[in-house]
Amino acid sequence: MHELSLAQGLLSQLQALAKEHGAEKIVLVRVSIGAQSGIVIDSFVFGFNAIKTTLALSRDAVLEISEVEGSDLILMQVEME
Amino acid sequence: MCDTCGCHISDDTSSKIVEVHQSLLAANQEQADKNREHIEAMGAVAINLISSPGSGKTTLLEHTLDRIGRNMRIGVIEGDIETERDADRIRKKGVPVVQLTTGGACHLDAPLVHKGLHALEHQSEDGKFDLVFIENVGNLVCPATFDLGEHERIILVSVPEGSDKPAKYPTTFHGANTFMITKTDLLSYFDFSVEEAKNEALRLNPDLRIMEVGAPAGLGMDQWISYLEELVAAH
Repeated sequence: MHELSLAQGLLSQLQALAKEHGAEKIVLVRVSIGAQSGIVIDSFVFGFNAIKTTLALSRDAVLEISEVEGSDLILMQVEME
Repeated sequence: MCDTCGCHISDDTSSKIVEVHQSLLAANQEQADKNREHIEAMGAVAINLISSPGSGKTTLLEHTLDRIGRNMRIGVIEGDIETERDADRIRKKGVPVVQLTTGGACHLDAPLVHKGLHALEHQSEDGKFDLVFIENVGNLVCPATFDLGEHERIILVSVPEGSDKPAKYPTTFHGANTFMITKTDLLSYFDFSVEEAKNEALRLNPDLRIMEVGAPAGLGMDQWISYLEELVAAH
């Protein structure tokens, strides 16, 4: 799997959600990663933490990963203000 | 907004939790499926060429276009991190070509190819093609994960790279339709076992079609051209 690219996809999705809800800051991001997805969790977290700093919106966002069954990567919840 | 009466209250500590439940993997697949429909509306068959850098993708295209560039309506989408060099080579063959540069990403993805398809259409009078080649960024790993909307996926490994490559890149070979061994004119200079490469590839993917070419020397090109003609005719 392609962790950095997926992290970039996550960031785009967060931008869209923030715009939709009129939010200025992302506080918390909850993501479920399927154990069979082939995604290396550490790499994904590393990638996200590296690119989140490129936007004021996401600079302080905390990423919380739950490892679940299955092969998908799902953005579950976003806390924003 | 106040839940009770709907008035606008400004609440400085308001943070809200939004339930999303969206797959992050689905996004590329959705666009890929749309690309496939788009390509079909163009009347074309799309082929995704994947290989390590320098395996001979662009050279294969050049020789292919020399042979059938005038008989079929062919368009090419080139993918690279930087430069337009590959598109420049294809342009000399007189067919519509678009260069996509990722600027850093080591693979093409469906959204980028979507842009490429539109740009390609603009270069043709009626936006119709028989065959669209998508030459991916040189990389045997990452492109495998990204459906671009192609009908056929071809993996190229050249003789100098070694016959152990299929075994080392299982995901890439699993997802392919055709495995092409390139630079076969160099077999006598290298320790490449065609049998090993074929067996390993078929073990990973028993349905794989396997071809051998040495494009500049014309080796295997008749078979390759027939395959392309079949693909287009069957469409």
